[in-house]
Amino acid sequence: MAKNAKRKSKKQYKNSGFRRVIAALCIAGLLVLSVYLVYLNHLINLRFEGDTWAIPSRVYARPLELYTGLKLNSEALLYELGLSTYQRVDLLTEVGQYRILDSGIELRTEAFDFSDQTEPAHHARVLFSGSKVERIIDLETSNNLDLLRLPPVIIGSYFPQNGEDRVLLSIDQIPQTLIKILLAVEDKKFFKHFGINPKSIVRALIANLKAGKTVQGGSTLTQQLAKNLFLTPERSLIRKINEALMALLLELRFNKETILTAYVNEVFLLQQKNIAIHGFGLASQALFKQGIEHLTTDKLALLVGMVKGPSRYNPITHPEAALKRRNLVLRVSRDHRIIDEIEYQRLINSPLATVNRLPRINRFPAYLDLVKRQLNSSYSASELAAKGMRIFTPFDPLLQRNLEQGLEAGLSRFDQPDLQAAVVVADYLNGDIHALVADREVDFPGFNRAVLAQRPIGSLIKPLLLYSLLEDGMSLASLVDDKPIRIRLSNSDIWQPSNFDRKLHGQMSLYQAFVRSYNLPFVHLGVNGGLEALGRNLKSLNLLKRDVIYPSLLLGTSEMSAFEVTQLFQVIANRGYFSPLTTIRQVGDQFNRTLKRIPIDSYKLFNQSSMLQVQRAMIGVSEEGTAKYLAQRFKGQTLAGKTGTTNNARDSWFAGFTQRELTVVWLGKDNNSPINLTGSSGALRVWADIMQKQGFDAFKLDRDDSLEWHYINRFNGGLTKRECSNSVLLPFPEQLIPDHRSRCE
Amino acid sequence: MSNSILLVNRFNPSLLIWVILLASCTGPGIVPDYYQSASVSSERSIGPVAELHRRAISAIGQRRFAESVEYLQRAIKIDPRNAFSWHYLAQSYWHSQQYGRCLEMIKRSVSYSAELDDLDRANAALKSQCEVT
Repeated sequence: MAKNAKRKSKKQYKNSGFRRVIAALCIAGLLVLSVYLVYLNHLINLRFEGDTWAIPSRVYARPLELYTGLKLNSEALLYELGLSTYQRVDLLTEVGQYRILDSGIELRTEAFDFSDQTEPAHHARVLFSGSKVERIIDLETSNNLDLLRLPPVIIGSYFPQNGEDRVLLSIDQIPQTLIKILLAVEDKKFFKHFGINPKSIVRALIANLKAGKTVQGGSTLTQQLAKNLFLTPERSLIRKINEALMALLLELRFNKETILTAYVNEVFLLQQKNIAIHGFGLASQALFKQGIEHLTTDKLALLVGMVKGPSRYNPITHPEAALKRRNLVLRVSRDHRIIDEIEYQRLINSPLATVNRLPRINRFPAYLDLVKRQLNSSYSASELAAKGMRIFTPFDPLLQRNLEQGLEAGLSRFDQPDLQAAVVVADYLNGDIHALVADREVDFPGFNRAVLAQRPIGSLIKPLLLYSLLEDGMSLASLVDDKPIRIRLSNSDIWQPSNFDRKLHGQMSLYQAFVRSYNLPFVHLGVNGGLEALGRNLKSLNLLKRDVIYPSLLLGTSEMSAFEVTQLFQVIANRGYFSPLTTIRQVGDQFNRTLKRIPIDSYKLFNQSSMLQVQRAMIGVSEEGTAKYLAQRFKGQTLAGKTGTTNNARDSWFAGFTQRELTVVWLGKDNNSPINLTGSSGALRVWADIMQKQGFDAFKLDRDDSLEWHYINRFNGGLTKRECSNSVLLPFPEQLIPDHRSRCE
Repeated sequence: MSNSILLVNRFNPSLLIWVILLASCTGPGIVPDYYQSASVSSERSIGPVAELHRRAISAIGQRRFAESVEYLQRAIKIDPRNAFSWHYLAQSYWHSQQYGRCLEMIKRSVSYSAELDDLDRANAALKSQCEVT
């Protein structure tokens, strides 16, 4: 008995010990699970606190303002519309569409929030007469419209490092039809389950066991969201368990609307090169050039169908598979009474109606790079890639197209495949940079030569030197000597400059020396005082790179980028008014609130009358000087410009302006080897090709009543008559009008 | 009320037509073809620029100066040599107490306002106000 009792007690002890171990294990397991759940919850917190998604910032072109008399033909307007999300149709039924008429274009614009004001939607007809807008008719009221401001085109985005791109939709912006179709196809019990659907999991398990492979998924939308947001796509039990746990946590933490909205914005739908398009909002824009709110049921069905296999059902690369899948989704929609039989029959026979190819990403890399650099002081790269900001620029897609085509035509003149180019086009009257190219392959996103390549500018320095001399009391008729000069430098070296043609030309007017771009007269004048003034003026433009001023600065050995040269000539073209060159006019946040405005600024930096005389001399360059090619090519159209060539013809420059635009062209090689092109034979030709493409208004000098115009003899500087040989009409301040007359020959 | 405000209130096309006619009767002696023989400002205060001026003036009247600046900058982008656009912009900055900008914009207006005596007087009055304040 005692033995039995002892055995029993031992057994009881063993059992209770076992139970204790089990209990301890259970408690430990629960503890581990709790800790793990806390960890998972922390991951969810990290993701959902603050900004859930990194939204790339968008860069906008200038809004195209249409008005009667604007120089714009229908082809140019069609190009602009083609860059945006407009659809060409035969009959306009909704916004974002246009149709081509015999005499113009009819279009329905979307309302656009410019932060300062909202441009309302318009239904208008734009009529053209030749290359001008003849009339704009508001088709709602049949009245003429004075102005029609089109929503600006998006020209690029700054993407986060993971390469994800999306357009966020709020729950109100998600079409009800999309929600119905999505739930019918992906998760019928979405509003009933608690994150996982056990029945669905069992059903999928049986189906997969029977088939011997995965043929059915049992994941709910919440599980799919958990997988997309937090987990890898690998198929493993651990991953499935994590997915289920996180789905449960998501359902505990958030309501169904939040989860659904997150899914609609997160789901991956398309890949375009290295950019992954997430969410229905952006996929709709990319595939159909339409906002999701405008999509018809068949298009929504296609997008929902793509969720299962974004690559397999990509309608551009696999249209047949995509069509089959869309029709399957439509059938499910009919079965769930989302659409009726008649509509189903109609929709399954409709084409896919997607674009033929996805819009190009960031096709203006040099401009976008400059925007980023100019934003750099206010916003970091990571902010730009995540905050969904709206950056409004003065970029002009039409000018950019003309620039690109003109540059291509220009470079084809020279049989030098490694010849590189940088071109900047700016509105010198307000500082807007309209267009920019930094590589002969215009859409190559490499080294931004227009901003970063520092090259000697050669004779492009002469206009500012001329200004400095005029301010110092000289006039365009002042006599100068083209004679040899030897200068001992501070290191005892001898500097002995020469003219480009290695010849001497004797005495002549300052005007004549300038238009022929002779070096020696300017070196003589420079060492006698002009150099100091030139240094001061460069410094006031923040373009003096070294504290010590060398005489060789007089011949443009100072290095500048094309961007800096553009700033230099902006002031000259704008008669001494400095307007900082900018690619940014306004920055807004993703909720259309204005973060930053950059107004048109203008500071009087130089004397207007002296600058007007410089402009007159630059007209002379294009009429009879080193750029007289322009006068031959564009007969009767006044242009102002200056050529620049550096030692051994390594750099070829031309800076010139019309009535509205300043365009600076640089040609050279990255290894700095000679290109055997002067400013005249190289950059000038390219500049002219760009102008030819662009069309332009001839330059006119602004009126300045403090100056008097007189004919002078270009060689001896004396007053003369128009009909006399070597006469040239030049402006003078009253006190500097030549006091001697020249013999008329 | 200041002269510059009066100019806004008195802004009417018939005055501009007289100004243009007067301007066309005078002009400098020998000048090249590419020289602006008269102020282009008033000639171009029609169509889109006039419409934007109208909106800007209305915005100034309602003390919505940021909005008037936007309208005027649009006008300047269409016609940057319009002296009136720069003048109204100066006015907007004066009202917004940005006196430095006001003065710079007046300089631009003056540089395009040859023979627009009325505008010159308004610019002078506005300039003195910007300088005083």
